[in-house]
Amino acid sequence: MSARTVELFVNGRRVQAPVEGAEFLAEFLRERLGLAGTKVGCGIGACGLCTVWMDGQVVSSCLVPAVVAAGRHVWTVEGLTDLAEGRVTDAPPGLPSPQLVQAVQRAFVQCEGLQCGICTPGQVWAVCALLSEEPRPSEERVREFLAGNLCRCTGYQGILRAVRQASEEWAPSEDP
Amino acid sequence: MKTPEYVTPTTLREALELLSGAGGGEAVVWAGGTGLGPLLRRGLASPAVLLGLEKVGELGGVQPADGGLRLGATVRLRDLQRSPVVAARVPALADAAGRVGNVRVRSLATLGGHLCHADPAQDLPPVLVALGARVCLVSLRGTRVLPLEEFFVGPLQTVLSPEELLTEVWVPGESASRNTVYARFAPRSPEDYPTVGVAVSVRLDPDGVCQEARVAVGGAGPTVLRITAAEQALVGGVLAGQRIRDAAREVEAAVDPWDDSRGSAEYKRAMARVWTERVLQKLADEV
Repeated sequence: MSARTVELFVNGRRVQAPVEGAEFLAEFLRERLGLAGTKVGCGIGACGLCTVWMDGQVVSSCLVPAVVAAGRHVWTVEGLTDLAEGRVTDAPPGLPSPQLVQAVQRAFVQCEGLQCGICTPGQVWAVCALLSEEPRPSEERVREFLAGNLCRCTGYQGILRAVRQASEEWAPSEDP
Repeated sequence: MKTPEYVTPTTLREALELLSGAGGGEAVVWAGGTGLGPLLRRGLASPAVLLGLEKVGELGGVQPADGGLRLGATVRLRDLQRSPVVAARVPALADAAGRVGNVRVRSLATLGGHLCHADPAQDLPPVLVALGARVCLVSLRGTRVLPLEEFFVGPLQTVLSPEELLTEVWVPGESASRNTVYARFAPRSPEDYPTVGVAVSVRLDPDGVCQEARVAVGGAGPTVLRITAAEQALVGGVLAGQRIRDAAREVEAAVDPWDDSRGSAEYKRAMARVWTERVLQKLADEV
């Protein structure tokens, strides 16, 4: 068994670990780094449980082999606290601002944007990425962007309310 | 399996040299990986080398060209969806790109990867065939340019040889002056591959008489199917009533679907007819 070593940046820290076989970023995060907040569901990029931020966009970490992720900047749910509290130096381009992350976290709690919680790490990153790119998205855009981040509790209304509240708080409309 | 090596050449020449055997002929192109990734996860593919194209600048970009478009193979589907020049010249293509999978898939998947994966139910092949797109295939031995409908051979099979790369897609200028509509029927979930996808591109004269038509259907055969009998049924008259029904009947007769989780062959045949009628009605309503 020839192990290859992969080095990348996870939640702002340089990390290095051996990988074996066809190991993907989702398993690398969970099993090599112990970051079990990222879940693995379908394994084909359809369910959204393994959503992480990578180099400026959200991706399904089950679709990215660990060797392909080498050298990239990856952020998971475990990195949100450091991000929200402004403890990140040398943030890569496109990373959501601390104010945005705080607004999204608060909105998910206040709007009951989570029930069992298994989809929440992916939902939160998807919403941060969306609002970072488009601070005041239309309802249609929100639905297009979040399609494929499945909530098995079907708590979609709470999630949509959370997106609206976070958007309002972070980028208030000029004419209310 | 052994962990593959990920190699990222920076020039087309270097990429072609790696493909032609410098890497022992064991390199498989990684162009986003949303199709290949699940095959690796299941052990259905176990390449020694993944040849990443992301750093080959020549393969990227969307440019206006001769009234149409030149689309680089490594353009992400999300960038195709959001490109102002694509939206201006062929809005049906931007719209279709935005319907593939979900945003996370569109952020990784590339146009070239999408076409080379060659699943018969994909969204962009019918649209691009209706637009009259051509693909450019390059190896160290030369370049060939093919109409897209000649690129596909069967499910997950294309004419691409192991040492060739699909480098770009050309959408001809005349297609920008036609009206093109694509509709996908995905009854299980909007992110799923469609049961059938129908694209029609027509040129209508000021009286609404159809001068030219291209009809392509996905999901209803071993590859995307261009259906010339339906095209012939459309040309020479106004898109309405019996002419629409006749063309849709030609589609129903020409498709070659099979039973799977997205429907029985019989159902897909009927849906190919129904959705062809709807696409044609939409084109007629746009006049």
